[in-house]
Amino acid sequence: MPKCDVLVVGGGPAGMAAAVTASQLGLSVEMIEQRRTLGGAFFRQPIEGVRPIPQRASVKARWHKLSADMSRAPVRIHYGCVFLGVDSDGFVLFEDRQVGEVVRCAARAVIIATGAIEKVHPIPGWDRPGVSTAGGLQVMMKETGQAPKGRILLAGNGPLLIAAAAQMAMVGNPPVAIVESGDPMRPGLTGLGLLVAPYLLVEAFGFLRAVYGAGVPWLRGARIEGIEAHAQGLQATVVRRNGERSAFVVDRVGLHEGIRSNDMGLPAIADASTSSPIVIRAGDCSEPLGALAAEADGALAARKVAALLGHGQSRGGEQALLGRLRQAQAVLAKLFAPTIAPLDVPDHTTLCRCEGRTIGDLKNLVAGADLKSGREVKHNGRFSMGSCQGRFCAANTAELMTRLRPGAPPVVASDLTGQRWPLRPVSIAALVAATKVKAPVD
Amino acid sequence: MPSSVIVAGAGIVGAALAYFLSARGIRVELFDEEAPAAQASGAADGAVSVASKRPGAMMTTALAGIALYRKLARDGVFADLFKPRSTFLVAASDAECEVLEAHCAALSGAGVRVTKIDRATVAEKFRVLSPDVGMAAEVHDEGHAIGYQIVHGLLRASGIAVRRREKVQRILVSSDGTCVKGVATAKGEYTADAVIIASGLGSADLLGLSGTLIPRKGQLLVTERAPALNGRMPGAMMSCRYLLSKGSQKGRPAPARGLALVVDPLRTGQFLIGGTREDHGDRRTNDLDAVSKILADAVALIPGLVDVRLLRCFAGARTAVVDGLPIIGRVGSFGNLFVATGFEGDGICLGPVSAESVVAMVCGEKPALNLDPFTPSRFPKLRIAA
Amino acid sequence: MSSESFFWMGKPIPFRAGESVAAALEAAGILSFGPAPGGGPTRYFCGIGACQCCLVRIDGCVREACLTPACSGARVEELGAADAKV
Repeated sequence: MPKCDVLVVGGGPAGMAAAVTASQLGLSVEMIEQRRTLGGAFFRQPIEGVRPIPQRASVKARWHKLSADMSRAPVRIHYGCVFLGVDSDGFVLFEDRQVGEVVRCAARAVIIATGAIEKVHPIPGWDRPGVSTAGGLQVMMKETGQAPKGRILLAGNGPLLIAAAAQMAMVGNPPVAIVESGDPMRPGLTGLGLLVAPYLLVEAFGFLRAVYGAGVPWLRGARIEGIEAHAQGLQATVVRRNGERSAFVVDRVGLHEGIRSNDMGLPAIADASTSSPIVIRAGDCSEPLGALAAEADGALAARKVAALLGHGQSRGGEQALLGRLRQAQAVLAKLFAPTIAPLDVPDHTTLCRCEGRTIGDLKNLVAGADLKSGREVKHNGRFSMGSCQGRFCAANTAELMTRLRPGAPPVVASDLTGQRWPLRPVSIAALVAATKVKAPVD
Repeated sequence: MPSSVIVAGAGIVGAALAYFLSARGIRVELFDEEAPAAQASGAADGAVSVASKRPGAMMTTALAGIALYRKLARDGVFADLFKPRSTFLVAASDAECEVLEAHCAALSGAGVRVTKIDRATVAEKFRVLSPDVGMAAEVHDEGHAIGYQIVHGLLRASGIAVRRREKVQRILVSSDGTCVKGVATAKGEYTADAVIIASGLGSADLLGLSGTLIPRKGQLLVTERAPALNGRMPGAMMSCRYLLSKGSQKGRPAPARGLALVVDPLRTGQFLIGGTREDHGDRRTNDLDAVSKILADAVALIPGLVDVRLLRCFAGARTAVVDGLPIIGRVGSFGNLFVATGFEGDGICLGPVSAESVVAMVCGEKPALNLDPFTPSRFPKLRIAA
Repeated sequence: MSSESFFWMGKPIPFRAGESVAAALEAAGILSFGPAPGGGPTRYFCGIGACQCCLVRIDGCVREACLTPACSGARVEELGAADAKV
């Protein structure tokens, strides 16, 4: 059984910065990472022998530094390991897929850095093959060094769509269009204070240049309404602010409505010096501010843990940087505020993919005067009961429940997801193998 | 007949009370500290079964309970919520075969339809089971229902709106002390012609039952869908060690911590795997030791489970009574105060049928069940807490 | 560059060292990974192991195609294919 001061969950920017800082502060550190490489989604590494997709010099430099620091730090990394949670005995549990067993780790502290997931709004056809998240297309591109094949439509909200489109253009297959519900080019936005984070401007100009250079239409103030099967692939219907509809026949659709913390079911934060173990979250799973902020927050989490474990107080410049990045995110949110109202979504639309439950199913369940709790809706409507444990439907379900019952107390995603392990479905074979680690109970 | 009744507790008993009261046209106010099926009813194994019972009051009540499930399924209240199936008691060792032989005789003697299946037949007909299985016994005419779905079905049929997050804090007694007039919550006082307490462990504070009602933790597991494996399971598989753990076979040693195995194939293609019986411990959390031990036992019995993934674990606290029997009936000299709680692990099976009889009592009729063994008067200290 | 392959429903799929099963299947033009037991088709979606949409059976184990590195000679199947042989 591994024993350490700190177990870091996730080898993205937050987890790497946390591990580096914690070991610099004299703590023994182990890390689990579900893939076979570090980097997380933002720094997803290309496979061997593949030319990486073009990135800005500053991003490359950050990765270079982070990975160099990491390789110097005496951190034992367990690759191919999926975090399962903390059990009632206080053990941190993970599934080691290379060995095929569930491992319990006696860590004094656990820093959870499970990153973010993308928000996707339910629309008809979002669950068809060929439709993925835009970030899903982006990480695949980073991994393979190649653009996704065929005609691609990107749709949703926020700067990630532009970044993904630019990267696709740079590796030779620009999307046919970007559908954006906001309109960052609308007049009157100059006073927003974008200068709080000049790097964002530089990044944005770089991406926009690539997108415009490739002639990709950026349809602002527009939404994707639905995706149907078509003889030549998928047919996506797009609605403009003026009500005008147009159709795109494509091979792939990348959806993205921003990011949210990947915090479904995570063990509660426990940050008293007496907590056993101490549980802290870092990076996007704590507050979704992006990779640069995640690095700062990871270091901050490590300092906090070191202080709690009696390794002394220390200070870096992280708080100030986080403050600026928080402001920058707020500016971006205003910049990309939707300028087209949400569309009516038909009742047959899938809300929970894992369990095959629709918006109509939810409406039927919450109709009437009896104001069911999130947990009752979960149990009896099966929303969030499936394999993704609510990561892609709990927030949408909670939001729709709240909208359907004006005046009733609002419902939040955690009302549906609860807080328990396993955080991800786990092989029974691996759980049975875990009994060999320690004597069975009877 | 009362025109209005207050029910404290929206578990399976409270929901069934609301259903049977509403069906008679009686106005019901149903209160819960949290929400329907928030405690044991929402974390139950869902057995509607006599397979593990010994002849006696609990078995008689369980048989009536199963009959009621069949009726409510026919009537549509439990449409698609009750899965009729057999329970297979499975013995692996010689000692377990011996226990099972004796248990089969007891079940048959009580009129339960049981078929013994020898080793060769098990190997031939139930390939899903491990070749180590020495014998099995099919207990016919049983079923499975998921507690929170049953609660939901009963409430939907009753048509009431539950008062959620509103705990009954006190029972209000009339000025002459002969009857109760209602209850008090943080939001105010409510009056009714009768009051029924069905709030599980929460009943202890209202009725001075602390020490009499005991939380007994159980841990349960749910797998992902595995439709083909599920389809090859002819019913629930219950290890004979379950009999030992429940103390149904007196004089034999029960396993430490009461880990015992039931694997129930659900309608969804998933499996529900249970469970533990623990006298202490945190109520809502699971430990790896228990989970991996339960799964090791499950895989030993049904090897195909090894290729399935565990989706969810959960834990709940059953409301157990010190003498092992539920508490059902009129409270003391109060003509219009009733209690129905303490079903331990049998609430899903016994809850609705007990509620039906309590409603008969409330309405001044003779209940269909013989409730004498469960009378609250066996606990002299039971009283309305000040 | 692609010298190695695994088997998707019995058919060889080439992959590059380090590539995920999902990337190799996508490169081979396979967008649907078969029916999910809960309804709908399985397919690549989030790319980070969160959505559980890309589940396949790899040498008998249920795995996210987006997380699992392709391995020479591996038997990769739709979820239902192996379940049916239990």
